[in-house]
Amino acid sequence: MKNDVHVAFIGNPNCGKTTLFNAYTGAHLKVANWPGVTVEKKEGALKYHNNQYKLVDLPGIYSLTSYTMEERLSRQYILEDEVDIIVDVVDASSLERNLYLALQLIELGKPLIIALNMMDVIEERGMDIDLHRLPEMLGVPVIPVCARRKKGLQILLHAVAHHKNHPRKDSIEHQHEIKEQKSRHRHNHHKDTVVVYSDWLEDKIDAIENALWEKYGSIENPRWHALKLLAYDEEIMNKYPLEIPEIIDKSYEKEIIKQKYDFIEEIIEEVLFNKDKESQSTDKIDTVLTHRYLGMPVFLAIMAFIFFLTFTIGDFFQEWIVQGIDITAGVLQNLLTSINVSPVINSLLIDGIIAGVGSILAFLPNIFILFLALAVLEDSGYMSRVAYVMDGLMGKVGLSGRAFIPLLLGFGCSVPAIMASRALENPRDRLKTILITPFMSCSARLPIYILFSGMFFGDMAMYVAFSLYVVGIIVAIALALLFSRIDKSKSSNTLLIELPEYKTPNVLSIFIYAWEKVKSYLSKAGTTIFVASLLMWFILHFNMNGMVTNISDSFGAYIGKAAAPLLSLAGLDVWQLVVALLSGIAAKEVVVSSVSILYGVSDINSVMGTSSVVKQLANVGFTQLNAYVLMVFCLLYTPCIASIVTIKKETGKIRWAVFSVFFQLFVAWFIAVILYQFGRLLLR
Amino acid sequence: MILSDGKIAHSYIVQDMYLEEDIERRLEMLGMTTGVMLTILNKKRCGAIILKVRGTRFALGRQIAAGIEIGEINNEK
Repeated sequence: MKNDVHVAFIGNPNCGKTTLFNAYTGAHLKVANWPGVTVEKKEGALKYHNNQYKLVDLPGIYSLTSYTMEERLSRQYILEDEVDIIVDVVDASSLERNLYLALQLIELGKPLIIALNMMDVIEERGMDIDLHRLPEMLGVPVIPVCARRKKGLQILLHAVAHHKNHPRKDSIEHQHEIKEQKSRHRHNHHKDTVVVYSDWLEDKIDAIENALWEKYGSIENPRWHALKLLAYDEEIMNKYPLEIPEIIDKSYEKEIIKQKYDFIEEIIEEVLFNKDKESQSTDKIDTVLTHRYLGMPVFLAIMAFIFFLTFTIGDFFQEWIVQGIDITAGVLQNLLTSINVSPVINSLLIDGIIAGVGSILAFLPNIFILFLALAVLEDSGYMSRVAYVMDGLMGKVGLSGRAFIPLLLGFGCSVPAIMASRALENPRDRLKTILITPFMSCSARLPIYILFSGMFFGDMAMYVAFSLYVVGIIVAIALALLFSRIDKSKSSNTLLIELPEYKTPNVLSIFIYAWEKVKSYLSKAGTTIFVASLLMWFILHFNMNGMVTNISDSFGAYIGKAAAPLLSLAGLDVWQLVVALLSGIAAKEVVVSSVSILYGVSDINSVMGTSSVVKQLANVGFTQLNAYVLMVFCLLYTPCIASIVTIKKETGKIRWAVFSVFFQLFVAWFIAVILYQFGRLLLR
Repeated sequence: MILSDGKIAHSYIVQDMYLEEDIERRLEMLGMTTGVMLTILNKKRCGAIILKVRGTRFALGRQIAAGIEIGEINNEK
């Protein structure tokens, strides 16, 4: 609505903006403990004292001079006129660095409140912040909050309501003891300007302000514009070009930054007490997790442990669900028989929906455990460390260690993983990362691995599934190397990432996160997989003459048989599997539901279901080798539709989405053929 | 000397930077201005480094670490 008060939450990455936003709006946006979790702006609504508030959560930025895609987004939004008031969320436990952006925002001159977050951490460490002196030195209200514990929220909202129409005009007290007439500074801005620069810089600012006035008349906040012109800010230089080479003779950004930090040091000196009482535990943990030799093995061990949990605990619960589905199918079958439902409807419900959707639901526990474990990893603060640990290896293939974060997120789902590549500064690195991320084994491939490795490898099933995760990583990294060779751009190796303090993962937030993932998995089962199952049932039970009794006379069989020879070199020329692979483009789990429908088993995860499929496949000469090649093919081939759309969105070009489709198909085919042919030679 | 040659658990003063301007500005905005004290927390053979500056930990890649000149300060407490 037009009368809404627009409140923008801005701040450094990982300072708790999204936690605060969630606390106000009741949203469940993803929060974690690494910089760059939020890559898109998100909006929420709130009513307070008869006013409607629109809250906007923005990606974190370190400064208003922006380098990465998400930083540009935040800056653009803040500079727009729509924002009524800015809430700068400041991490009190990292006050010195957070104040840099705060000073820039104060200089911007829009209504501003500082929300001093993470006050609990300050307290735990035994540090103190002078909450009287800090706002006095900054000239803006400072409200202590603790977003995680939902403390201080009402007071912050109250301050927002009161200051929404008032640009900063609180009097600033830089130094109590020095009377202005005694100040050695020629410039007497100390009462109304937060940062007073050295005299020679202030002279330039004055001159530029005058020049702006002469050329453009009255503009809002000429001091800020003058500073931006002195810093050679491209956007402002294009908007307000000035021809005063004797004043703006070079970029003074370095000096401006330095002098801001000089002032920040003064503030810290006055307001922060016991600042040496920092947490020692993070340093201790880091000596192991980021150790030059141990770092990599520890990372691999952590990942192996996550997958071990996913398989073992997941499988334990999976059996219950399988039994539940069996019972449901039995009850439904009896009901349908007793009311004499037509065979078409009976087949649709039992062979289509129960077989298709039911087969997918069985994997819910595995998916839940996987996301829970990944959430713990993300919430602990370990993600940034992984970027450091992997930097050497990634550097060898022309990427920074930072690019490993999207790859790691790819174990969950490719879509958010592809979006996470926004944090990479270099557009070439970004594109390369986007193109290799879908090769990581996402949670949708998990059902395929569990099903086929369980069917063909018995006790070795878990190790076989592990190996597929490793194959995914190796292929992704090898292709990054290939892209770098083609691209010929030199490895820039510009890893630059903040390492947050470790914290005990918040049980509630990781459960909410994993639950959200389960919900989206369920909704996928109810939409994409449901529709795909219906479609599969239709093309497998009908041909031009109507319903068929033998599935090998159906439309599906025609399509599968026509395409099967293409996969003969890979040992996958079984028409049923070709149809299943085609359907997997909708979503990779659909491969499982399609196999279930194709082989006419109402519950593919039950003992009877698997033995029936294994028997039918064995009849056409399908061995362990074929099963492994099939899993590798599923891992590598064309990404699902959601990923294809995301690649298009993130690269801005259809050409890269189309490239992904065919490139991955080729890579999958090529590797599958090599594996199969070598495997046959070895096993002969 | 350059940052990559610094020793773990030792503190140094940033003296100069020889990096692409964008990266240099970015580091400065994060508080790595000339004259500031930093402490090396960890480093790898490839040259990547973890350091603490103004109370914040950062990981820097090999090339960035090689472009930052640091000076010794008295590390004895």
